[in-house]
Amino acid sequence: MEATPLVVVGAGVSGTAAAIEAARVGVQVTLVDENPVPTSLMGLEIPQFFGRRFTDTLSNEVLTTQESARHKESLAEAEAAGVDIQLGTCVWGAFRNSENSRVLNGPQIGLSDYQRSWMMKYERLIVATGARDLSIGFGGWELPGVMGANGAHSLMNRYDALSSKRIVVLGSGNLGLNTAMLALDSGKDVTAVVDVSPAVQGDPALAMVLNDRGAELYTSHTVCAMNGGDGELNSVNLVAIDDNSQPIAGTEKIITADTVCLAIGLVPNIELISLLGCELAFESDRGGHVPNHDDWMRTSVENVFVAGDVAGFHDAMILRPEIARDQGRLAGIAAAASLGAIDDAEANARRSEIQINDETTSPIPEHNIWENWLKATGNTGGLDVLACPCEEVTRADVLDLQPPRYLGWESEPMSRRNLQTQLKDNPVNPNQIKRLTRAGTGVCQGRRCREQVAMLLSEASDIDISEVPLMTYRAPVRPLPLNVMWPDDEPQQVRDEWPKWFSPTSRVLG
Amino acid sequence: MPKESADVVVIGGGVSGLSSAFFLAKAGKDVVVVEKGTVGSEASGRNGGMISERTDEPALIPLAVESLKLWATLDDELGYPTEFIHQGRIQIAVSEEEMGDLYAERDEALRQAISVELLDPSQIQDLIPGISERTLGGLFFANGGHANPQRSVQAFAWAFQDSGGRLYQNTAVTGFEVLNDKITSVETTAGRIATEFVVAAAGPQTALLADMVSVQVPVAPARVEILATAPVPPMFDIALVGNGLYGRQAARGNLLFGGGAHEWTDVDLTAEPNKPNTPLIRNIARRLAEMLPGVADVPVLRSWAGIVEQAPDYMPIIDVAKSPGNYVVVTASAHGFGISPATGKVVSELVLCGESSIDISGLGLDRFADIAPDWREELGWVPAP
Repeated sequence: MEATPLVVVGAGVSGTAAAIEAARVGVQVTLVDENPVPTSLMGLEIPQFFGRRFTDTLSNEVLTTQESARHKESLAEAEAAGVDIQLGTCVWGAFRNSENSRVLNGPQIGLSDYQRSWMMKYERLIVATGARDLSIGFGGWELPGVMGANGAHSLMNRYDALSSKRIVVLGSGNLGLNTAMLALDSGKDVTAVVDVSPAVQGDPALAMVLNDRGAELYTSHTVCAMNGGDGELNSVNLVAIDDNSQPIAGTEKIITADTVCLAIGLVPNIELISLLGCELAFESDRGGHVPNHDDWMRTSVENVFVAGDVAGFHDAMILRPEIARDQGRLAGIAAAASLGAIDDAEANARRSEIQINDETTSPIPEHNIWENWLKATGNTGGLDVLACPCEEVTRADVLDLQPPRYLGWESEPMSRRNLQTQLKDNPVNPNQIKRLTRAGTGVCQGRRCREQVAMLLSEASDIDISEVPLMTYRAPVRPLPLNVMWPDDEPQQVRDEWPKWFSPTSRVLG
Repeated sequence: MPKESADVVVIGGGVSGLSSAFFLAKAGKDVVVVEKGTVGSEASGRNGGMISERTDEPALIPLAVESLKLWATLDDELGYPTEFIHQGRIQIAVSEEEMGDLYAERDEALRQAISVELLDPSQIQDLIPGISERTLGGLFFANGGHANPQRSVQAFAWAFQDSGGRLYQNTAVTGFEVLNDKITSVETTAGRIATEFVVAAAGPQTALLADMVSVQVPVAPARVEILATAPVPPMFDIALVGNGLYGRQAARGNLLFGGGAHEWTDVDLTAEPNKPNTPLIRNIARRLAEMLPGVADVPVLRSWAGIVEQAPDYMPIIDVAKSPGNYVVVTASAHGFGISPATGKVVSELVLCGESSIDISGLGLDRFADIAPDWREELGWVPAP
């Protein structure tokens, strides 16, 4: 396995900019992007929250063509610069030698085109994996038709395959407003934009345009999704809330909709960063746990760079894509310089063309808004609202720390145990909560429950959300079938030497 | 923590330590468990959950037999669920060489009066629908099964507390005070605990602890890996060993399988060891799909690794040190989970009356009396440079 000089993961705005920048100065660059993803993964809500609102006609062949077409401009530019572009290729793992793991013959990533998987060594790695939808549950949110903003964007922009007709958007930040506008432009009805906050959070001008185009803005409101009796979402119950996030009796309003789009926030996709052991910091106004990086976008791990939403997402980036692009350019220049393709003087000269104004505009920590949503949806939906829809773990199950229902376990000692008794013994630990309640162990790999479980734990333990440890990310960070993840090129020697029990890894991994 | 005292200090909140602590507390002893992290956060909570009589390890049979008796009523005894399933364990052979091993194990089982049955491929199909057609045969141990490690460790911990025990997590041991060949107190990051007896059940850290009281416990830490698939409908409820893997189908339906290669490491006395996965999980995936081709298209959801310790003969050590004479060593060489109920019973007996009612004669420290100080180097059981 030869090492690729530079691998860029993610062909969004930042990743593409990084690849172009490095390729133009002669670096051999491989740019991979997981899109188009097969519908089997979309159905698991991977990599975004698609809410099963993609059209039946979606097929992989069509996707590849459309993907190329949609990104023609930036990808064509990358191609012209000599970038090796691999679409439909996800990165499911990242590995390097570290304490107690020393036999790898170099840092490497695991890739897959969903048919097979392979390993690729890298000399430099730029992680530009973007962000995923933040999920905060409400009554009925497990119904098909509840989805996320990035899921909706992806289905509208990339695949032209959003099957929704009437959409209620949750969140009035620029993410929500932009999603509503895009939906209107795609011919959808947007019946309401809802926020628990007392005022619209995003660009007022954008909000006014939306209102003119028929989308009602409901501030100080929360929601429950209603089942049409056929297992599908058919309407949304809106209710006004008071200053304590309590529903105000008599204000209920039922709105017909087949889709509720969660556009409250985005969470940086730090899975690979986390697997590599890059230092993380909690920055609420950038989406939570984000990699530490210097002003050349270098992480704490040698030869690993970040750019774009994964480095920290804030709402202003929705309206200013140049932030992600410029971060990508910086990372590309830095990677090229560290490979010796350009000298420091040239790197600095190129850098001087780039002015990043990356100040966040949010006056209050992002998590305060998220916590307000958690509170309001709990006050209206109750503790039976699911915290983890894959494993059907309710908020009450998390707080009571009860074993999953399929065990059918009841006992007097168990009934005396709950999260509060556990907290007397040990600081709050989402991994432990996961193992006991199974919240986070489902097929979406915790994408829809991590943040709300962390917030529930924060509230119950009365510690700041920043103090709640991160639930560990684990490979594969995309759920790949056994016969895709497996090595189809496993040498006979490995097969002969595969130990029954306890013989050296080095002989197998070589 | 102010200056404290306890009849027994157990070091290590893994399954062996907590089982020992539970049996001691139940017998009326005042017990403190000191755990450097969270209960079950290391190998005890992240292993395959296998429980069986192992004829390939005859010295373990008395402990295994007693453990299975205890597992049968453990949920009720503890008051918390362990997900114990008592449907047996099967070891399958996919090569003539492995068939030879099965015959040898069958013969050993007959000598040990253990109930085993050699099954042909069609009988195995009945037990494990969809098992590979490469399967040549299998040895079925009726008295075996599996449980959920994380839930079991937590059950022991909670039941220990319910019996009056004190559990100090995030507390590491930093030293011992020894007077006249007896440990008089254990020094921890949260203070000193005066005590009559110490039970050291600290997994890979057991050797480092023993060094502090000049007892040689020859164990070497190693990192091993395991993976979990998405849930699938119920397929089999027996513990399955074969094609270089061991594992089970969990109550929720996920297939959990690990095995194969390991990597020798070193550990620190107080810090949580780093334990990343490697691309080895691809090879594990391959073996699982080969063994159960019908589920080859089921997604892998996650993988994890654990650090286990191994003695040179791959067997547990359960013994009271000669000096200091109130220091009990419990280390399991990766057998710890299945035998943990009996381990707890044995340790409590060793503390309470100095001898065990279960035969542990093959598990003493004396078998390493003449071991060279550099035994790890001699065996090549050292970390890669």
